[in-house]
Amino acid sequence: MKHDGALRAHEDGGERARARSDAGRLQRLNILIGVLSIPLFVLLWELIARSGIVNIVLFPPPSVVAVAIVEWMRSGQFFLDLTASLYRVTTGFTAGAALGIFLGIMTGQFPIVSSLLSPLFHILRPIPPIAFVPIVVLWFGLSETGKLFLVVWGVFFTVWLSTHIGVQKVDRGLIRAALMLGTPRRQMLQEIVLLGALPYIVVGLRTAVSIAFYTLVAAELAGTFAGIVYRIEIAQQNLQTGQVMGGLAALGLISFVADRMFAALAV
Amino acid sequence: MPRSGSYHSWPTECLQPLPFDAKRGQLIAVDRVSFDVPQGEFVCIVGPSGCGKSTVLNTIAGLEVPFEGSVLVDGSPVHRPRPEVGMVFQQPHLFPWKSVRRNIAHGPRMLGKSVQEANAIADDLIAMVGLKRFADAFPNTLSGGMQQRVAIARALANQPRVLLMDEPFGALDAQTRAVMQDNLLELRDRIKATIVFVTHDIDEAIVLADRVLIMSAGPGRILRQLDVDLPRPRSNAILLEPSYLALKKDCLEVIRAEGLRAFRQSDEP
Repeated sequence: MKHDGALRAHEDGGERARARSDAGRLQRLNILIGVLSIPLFVLLWELIARSGIVNIVLFPPPSVVAVAIVEWMRSGQFFLDLTASLYRVTTGFTAGAALGIFLGIMTGQFPIVSSLLSPLFHILRPIPPIAFVPIVVLWFGLSETGKLFLVVWGVFFTVWLSTHIGVQKVDRGLIRAALMLGTPRRQMLQEIVLLGALPYIVVGLRTAVSIAFYTLVAAELAGTFAGIVYRIEIAQQNLQTGQVMGGLAALGLISFVADRMFAALAV
Repeated sequence: MPRSGSYHSWPTECLQPLPFDAKRGQLIAVDRVSFDVPQGEFVCIVGPSGCGKSTVLNTIAGLEVPFEGSVLVDGSPVHRPRPEVGMVFQQPHLFPWKSVRRNIAHGPRMLGKSVQEANAIADDLIAMVGLKRFADAFPNTLSGGMQQRVAIARALANQPRVLLMDEPFGALDAQTRAVMQDNLLELRDRIKATIVFVTHDIDEAIVLADRVLIMSAGPGRILRQLDVDLPRPRSNAILLEPSYLALKKDCLEVIRAEGLRAFRQSDEP
């Protein structure tokens, strides 16, 4: 009996080792496939574009896109476009987020402020920011103010709502504990309420990053003189499809980097 | 013990709640509850869940305003939370973004003490509750019992004249609870604060208190007061002594009679 048991245990051990090595092999395979994903996609794209099935002018291969990007950079225009777009996104985001956090804390904490502002915000919030483009052009023309207005508008409501909810969900126990310790009202808002709501605020801010890019697209399509989306539009009018795709890639990349940076900050 | 003397150097005055009703919406949670607590006494309030024990405590804390009546601490009425009255809740409610030291230093900082002063106070209290190794740890890395020790230290940091405790050990397991009770008894001998302690655990009440107030439910009233004249220093070891058991018998009889009364009442149409 004893011998039997030992034998079984040994077999079990072998089986477990085999299962472990299988799992390891599977994991390595997964990583390998993951690394190949994008190159395979690019290769397939190149082949299809050059195969003659599609119009190569409308659907240029990645090699053509790469050349377009290099030329864009070499002309110095890329840097101007990038700074113009980044400026709009960052200032718009910062202003909208600051306003959203401030008013979110006010409406979340003070019922009177909430009664005054929340109905208005809930009416304005569902209107897609892009729908404001025509009136923004009327009001601000093609100026930077109009662009900022759109980005701020898009960012504000998301951040406001998440802050408002976050403030209302702050653990009442924390507030009571802070009250018992003699925390003054000002400190209560700046520290306990703000930090207590922080997890919600961070989620709102991260969502607002991508919204800032959506509204940037609308803002630049409305008419401007520099910017990545503006460049895409000009290239489209000139049938420079490679440049269009290069612009899309650049936009995707900075949006991705912004989101990653935010994710890293949040953790 | 170093500096422990500084936590109880106040003149002989007393906490004296006057009759009060606390009204929550339409429900009268507490009806004509009245008791005095002399300075330095340890009072436990026991009663079934929902009898308004917490309402009484919150009212003494100034977190709830009584519909009628008032609470006097040192002769002056309480309308809002004040640093002379400290509170420990059932949950530790520590600030999750602050280390143990900074949690405890929060109160002194809010009262205008410098960072150094506040940290010195915190470090003394950390030593007193035996958490020196965890001074820089964050609350989420501590066990429930440790968190509650931090909460007690935090409530003591403002040197309150009255310490209110709302079932502070209710969420802990039995072993930890016994250890915490013994710790509190030791701590109490050092700080000599007036303590009002709410619990539904009769054993806990008798082990800790100088006096036990037994409350009934719906609306909450004080049924009976029992003086606990068991010798001090005490510990959980007294749970088996005859004098202790006699007291517990008294308590249980009062509670049983009340329970039966409430049951008959609820049974009638």
